[in-house]
Amino acid sequence: MASDGVAVLPAARLRLNGAWVVPPLGILAALFFYPLALIIQQSVTTAGGLPDFGSYARVLAGPLFANALLHTLEIALLATTGCLALGFTMALVLTFVPFPGARALSRLIDTFIALPTFLIALALTFIYGSAGIANMSIMQLTGAEEPPIDFLYTVAGVVLAEVTVYTPFVMRPLLAAFSLIETAQIEVASSLGAGAWRIIRRVILPAALPALLAGGSLCLLLTVNEFGIVFFIGAKGVITLPLLVYGKAIQEDDYTAACVIAVVNIALSLSLFLLYRVMVARVDQGQRGA
Amino acid sequence: MDASGIGFTGVTVAYKGAVALDNLDLDVAPGEIMAIIGPSGCGKTTALRAVAGFVQPTRGRIRIGATDVTDLPPYARDIGMVVQNYALFPHMRVAENVAFGLRARRAPDSLVAERVRDCLVMVGMEAYADRYPRQLSGGQQQRVAIARALAIRPRVLLLDEPLSALDAQIRRNMLGELARLHRDLPHLTVLYVTHDQTEALTLADRIAIMRGGRLIANGTSQMLYRAPPNRFAAEFLGRANLLAVRHEQTDGRFARVRLGDTVLTAMAPFSELAGEVLLCLRPHDIFLAPVSVQPANTLHATVTDVQWLGDQHSVALELAGQVLRLVSTPLRDPPPPGAVVAVHFAAEDASIIPEGTG
Amino acid sequence: MLVWSLTGRIGAWSLLALVFGLIYVLPLAVIALASFAGQWNSMLPSQLTLDNYASVIAGESGEQLRVSLITAALASTIALLSGTWAAIALRTVAPAPRRLLDLLFFIPSAVPSVSVGLGLLVAFSQKPVLLNGTTAIVIIAHLVLISAFTYGNVAAGLSRLPPEFEQVAESLGARPFYRLLHVTLPLVTPYLIAALSLSFAMSMGELGATAMVYPPGWVTMPVGIFALTDRGEVFQGAALTMLLAVSTLAVLVGLSLVPAKAAAR
Repeated sequence: MASDGVAVLPAARLRLNGAWVVPPLGILAALFFYPLALIIQQSVTTAGGLPDFGSYARVLAGPLFANALLHTLEIALLATTGCLALGFTMALVLTFVPFPGARALSRLIDTFIALPTFLIALALTFIYGSAGIANMSIMQLTGAEEPPIDFLYTVAGVVLAEVTVYTPFVMRPLLAAFSLIETAQIEVASSLGAGAWRIIRRVILPAALPALLAGGSLCLLLTVNEFGIVFFIGAKGVITLPLLVYGKAIQEDDYTAACVIAVVNIALSLSLFLLYRVMVARVDQGQRGA
Repeated sequence: MDASGIGFTGVTVAYKGAVALDNLDLDVAPGEIMAIIGPSGCGKTTALRAVAGFVQPTRGRIRIGATDVTDLPPYARDIGMVVQNYALFPHMRVAENVAFGLRARRAPDSLVAERVRDCLVMVGMEAYADRYPRQLSGGQQQRVAIARALAIRPRVLLLDEPLSALDAQIRRNMLGELARLHRDLPHLTVLYVTHDQTEALTLADRIAIMRGGRLIANGTSQMLYRAPPNRFAAEFLGRANLLAVRHEQTDGRFARVRLGDTVLTAMAPFSELAGEVLLCLRPHDIFLAPVSVQPANTLHATVTDVQWLGDQHSVALELAGQVLRLVSTPLRDPPPPGAVVAVHFAAEDASIIPEGTG
Repeated sequence: MLVWSLTGRIGAWSLLALVFGLIYVLPLAVIALASFAGQWNSMLPSQLTLDNYASVIAGESGEQLRVSLITAALASTIALLSGTWAAIALRTVAPAPRRLLDLLFFIPSAVPSVSVGLGLLVAFSQKPVLLNGTTAIVIIAHLVLISAFTYGNVAAGLSRLPPEFEQVAESLGARPFYRLLHVTLPLVTPYLIAALSLSFAMSMGELGATAMVYPPGWVTMPVGIFALTDRGEVFQGAALTMLLAVSTLAVLVGLSLVPAKAAAR
């Protein structure tokens, strides 16, 4: 048989092995890890190039930093809670109280992920801003002199915008988790006399818990890192860590301070990222076990 | 024509300490169809994947023809392979799928075109050359997968449960097709892995039975069926009644055994029989005898259950605490449960298995 | 079906409609409306006009659209190449180092964009490589920020690829690179397209890192939109935002129409 077969080509000279990971790793190192290392280096160096850990004490002790850290955490926690509540409710209705077009609607919400985050911030200023539709309308109707709605320029405004933007990120894993719950399970439960709330508490919530934790930790990470929304709303009193880094570097030209704050911000983000990876691993494990 | 058999010499495969294949010695002769059967997890698929090169033996050598292929990568082994779900490339038309191996070897276009046509004709798929795999039925995909494996004129063809995704009717047809294909390609060595004993008995010249990573039995299909070397082989290949009997004396090809007060004669294919042994009786080799006529090898047993299966009767019997099942052509007067009947069998249809071997 | 009574279902649907309308439809509608507004002092704009679009396209914003498209196209293409390369190469690495390398390739997605920009500013304003003030530094910033997402998408696609396809190809005599080119890559094409779409969209909307590193001659749309609204040109800002959203979605729709034969299995 082999005599009339077509010969196998000689052994490959190029082998596909782990060494091929070097070029993309090199790019990553040069463009990401090297700059990251320099941020750390600059954060412990004086303008004259001498090692100096005093900048940490100077920057971190200031009221500006404490304020920004507090706002960052406050906004992230509130926005994540909001995203979880809203995402869970919407995914619940879309999956378990279905209607024609429910799939199209969930895909539509998903496309919001592709839009820039500041789009919503800009829209909210048109609606709830001091010269926005809501205030204008109320002032015209009541004859009030001052704009009655002013929550937009507080933490609440930022949280509202971030909830809008990041809810789709929670809905994605939730819809996937819900689709794994068998409808028969729900039908059996309700045929046994369980009401909707009971089914949500006893059947749906436990099944969706890993997805909620994964979506929630992703939300925490993204909201801690968010820049565009806070920047666009531009509330004087609401400064977050990324905004403070921008302000120190670009507006005050104080790179050492910017680097110190960036190091803290990155450390916070990386711990949230690790939390997210752990949560995702749990989701994967659960699905493999199912 | 060089010899193109397959040889396993002491092949052991272990994953993370678990032994999937334990010191396998097996030779497949050139032009032979060898079926490896066994329950899932027995190591049969590991054996096939070791020939293909997808698992690396921890010990032992594998030979294809005269070449030691143990250290060759899969692409250099000159094999054709058909897997359970066919794995036709979904982005290629049927003809491109069949041409794949030749193109990978940079065969000239004229040869590719000719081979693809020949192979598609051989499996009766020439009319589907321009279709995509998703436009084909399961049976058609199967034919294309075989054509793709044969287009490179491999030295050996590896079939990994190739029929298990098909429904019963198509599976029977494909078995016939595979047999015809092998008549057309008498020099092709085929290694066929299946959990289905019918496929193995229909197609294979020789059968290897595996369990727990070990080779349990190996021989021609006829021989393994008629004279299984151990309990596992007897029960895995077809249905068998295994009666515990006591060996009395071996006399040439035959042995005399005792079951209670009755002395029976059966084939003795294995030497060194002594003491407690098993008598292997296939259900269709046992006959109900009129009580008046008492040929040799007659047993008296109580009927416990009678089932009518349309084209046959299945009768369950009990004798001295052991169960015996026989099947026969439909009976006009099936015995009622509780009746004592005489059954007999020919000595040539029964064989002795050394006890304690499986 | 979780809710059986009709009133209950209507209640659930109304809640969904209200939430969806209030937080998704209303903002988009308002931006769209504002982009056509000449004046807006009460409930609705007092006059509708195309002037906002005309002036942003005629002005410097037309250039910003071009800059954004070029930046996003370059960054997402390079990210796709390097991400695909990394994901494929990583498959040949042993499990333990692979988990670590996988984590490394994902880390850029976790770092705030402003800090990525800061790092690039610090690193490339000094020797050995000076890039501060160039177009390249903007594209590099975008590349770094989207690289993890492209890598992740391709890696997910590769991990979902049934191993039989590649094994059969190999048994038929296909050597590693032939197999990669003719089997593996065509089969993961849908994931490659998804990766490209996602990273293109992210690059189009990127603001944090761009705001840190952009030179005066390479202003992307998000930066331009901020500048417009900051000056009080809010309706032009809305028009440019609409342009940004529409051009992003147009590219995404275009990419989704790329025929992927493998997807139709």
